[in-house]
Amino acid sequence: MLRQIFIVSALNFKSLKGRFWQSMVIVVGLGATIGVLLSMMSMTVGLRAAYDRVGDPGRAIVVSKGAESEGSSSVTRAMAPIIMDAPGVAKDVDGKPLADRQLNIGVPVLRLNGTKGYTTMRGFGPKGVALRPEFHMLKGRMFQAGKRELVVGVGAQTMFQNVKIGDQVILPDGGWPIVGVYQTGDILDGQLVGDTETMLTAFHRSAYNSILVRLASHDTLDAFRRALTTNPALSVTVERHSDWYKKISGQATTLLAVLAYVVGFVMAIGALFGCLNTMYAAISTRGREIATLRALGYGAFPVAMSVVLEAVALAVAGALAGAAIAWLMNDGRQGIWGVNIFHLSVPPSMIGLGVGWAIVVALLGGLLPSIRAARRPVVEALRAT
Amino acid sequence: MKFLPLGYSAIMRKPVRAILTLLSVVMAFTLFGLTIGLNATFTAIAETSRADRIYVNPRFGEPLPTAMAGQTRAIPGVAQVGAVGALFGYHQEKKNNEFVMMVDDNMRKVRSDWPLSAAQWDMIARNRTGIVISRIAAARWHLSPGSDFVLATPSIAKADGTGSWTLHVLAIADDRPDWANGYMMGNFDYFDKARPAAAQGKADWLEVLANNPDQSAAVGKQIVARFANSATPTQTITEKAAEQASGSGLDLMAVTRGVAVIGLLMILFLTANVIAQSVRERFAEFATLKTIGFSDSAVLTLVVLESAVPCILGAMLGVGVAAAFAKAMPRLFPPGFAIPVPTMTPMVFVWALISAVIVALGSSALPVLRLKRMDIATALARR
Repeated sequence: MLRQIFIVSALNFKSLKGRFWQSMVIVVGLGATIGVLLSMMSMTVGLRAAYDRVGDPGRAIVVSKGAESEGSSSVTRAMAPIIMDAPGVAKDVDGKPLADRQLNIGVPVLRLNGTKGYTTMRGFGPKGVALRPEFHMLKGRMFQAGKRELVVGVGAQTMFQNVKIGDQVILPDGGWPIVGVYQTGDILDGQLVGDTETMLTAFHRSAYNSILVRLASHDTLDAFRRALTTNPALSVTVERHSDWYKKISGQATTLLAVLAYVVGFVMAIGALFGCLNTMYAAISTRGREIATLRALGYGAFPVAMSVVLEAVALAVAGALAGAAIAWLMNDGRQGIWGVNIFHLSVPPSMIGLGVGWAIVVALLGGLLPSIRAARRPVVEALRAT
Repeated sequence: MKFLPLGYSAIMRKPVRAILTLLSVVMAFTLFGLTIGLNATFTAIAETSRADRIYVNPRFGEPLPTAMAGQTRAIPGVAQVGAVGALFGYHQEKKNNEFVMMVDDNMRKVRSDWPLSAAQWDMIARNRTGIVISRIAAARWHLSPGSDFVLATPSIAKADGTGSWTLHVLAIADDRPDWANGYMMGNFDYFDKARPAAAQGKADWLEVLANNPDQSAAVGKQIVARFANSATPTQTITEKAAEQASGSGLDLMAVTRGVAVIGLLMILFLTANVIAQSVRERFAEFATLKTIGFSDSAVLTLVVLESAVPCILGAMLGVGVAAAFAKAMPRLFPPGFAIPVPTMTPMVFVWALISAVIVALGSSALPVLRLKRMDIATALARR
């Protein structure tokens, strides 16, 4: 049986040359479908990856109860030390908890193209950098605690005007100079960072937005959460940092993903009809050949299999070509979504998904023609011209 | 007229093929309709946003004292000033985010182009707890005039300590393209007086109508300068600029256009193949037609007809499917999901028709060339 499938398919692929343009319909159809799908998904995937990187599972974030974003959360000065000294928080070499009071404030910026936009200005406390091993300075120096100065993310410099070292950012108490450029490799790259307490004073605020802590170990989250949520002096929500950013990125990326899948789905159905058409044409061209094989004693199943295999091979070739184009055009390119800067990405998993779609389309598109090919009476097929 | 039966029999010679071709054209034009319709929506948003309406926002997040409205009114070039309170919260469940704009009575002049009748503006002004909502918002929460809408606002304190606002639906108004999720408008005075004393007398933003759109930028700068040294510095942006800036920084129009073009090219390739094959199969027949006196152009018309019928029919069906989908879209997605809905303007249909004709001509071009160069004797002999 396997041998028969192999022989019939080999014969089949040899005759592909004669049906070149016809077969290209499947290749082009799925190439276009998968190329468009992966190009659109490259944004979703890249954005999600940027969020996932900020969300270190070894960290936990504490926000006010039920808050859906750092901006809408508020943690008072009185609450902060209770949270930071809670059990389950890792200790730094100096014996102090590895925890940080954070601020998260929107600041207006001018985009490079002259339109107005917003970015996030973040406040770091004394442990802000120690909490984030991914944070390192590229140019200039770090801001000094207590001084009215800022450092800027490397990505923000590629998006906004007036954020070079030496430029001033206008805040309520005057201009704050930018003294350095940092990189984290995640969405913080599109933001600005300054000293929490100094920013708090400048903005006349009395509360922080959130507290970020490093967990003593991966499993201490529950103990930490229990300590905080059972404390009547607090009203907070505790989330693993990675889960928090998954939730946030879900809000941002669902729209893009829905668009990509709707477009991809419609195109895939179009490609499916094209595939059916091509395979019907293929079996009618190969009618005599198939009939001869059947007359020689080859079974119906190997004949049907050869048709399906041809469709799958063509579809996978198309999907890979489409994926290659999507990868060349998009992978690694810098993208902007709202205030977030990220790199578009076409990872192997997405290419796998594209090939998977192609195989499904080919199976659906090859099945009916294969049945017809296998069932056609031999005599009738041999007589037909 | 004799072409029609000939064309019909040519198409129906292989009905499966004809139907499959038609269906793939339908899918391509569904995509085309959705993407070009989406572009029509973006264009409509750009056109409704006005250059003479200026948003005055707090520069650093602190709400603006309502007294600033009067001071802003005195700035030369300012025609009208209104105050808005933003009631952000959720309805019943945390995931049901909703937002009610609480507007003062001047807003009817600032937003004179909004689809609210004078009577509806009066209703908002006279009923403290009343709201006028758009059709999309009404459909989302299944509201009709007379129903109550309860909004919980965890981040906006109320004097009674509840953080819960019971609002009464007064009337339903038309939607605006730039508010894809619909809108709700209520009474600013109620919003203001229901809050704790310390939070009263403050607006989340002001809206200014300038006398002349060309002077908006200058008026905006004057407003910023006027309050630069106050406790609440401002920043201004015209509605038009805000609409451009609110974008994600991504040129969605270019993306959707690209998708439409790729879809069309795919279908062009597909139909071209089908026509080429159909002509190849019937080469001898065409030779016969020529032999019995059909002119060159008559035979060519036949081929073009054969590709034009599925293309044009498929285009119209496809755009129809897209229109039906666009109509159902607000119900297909969960509330608060800000997906722009394609608008099926007549131009979308016109573009689809033009594209269909181009695809039909493009896909029959090669077969037509072959038929033109056909040597009748050889073609007949091949049989």
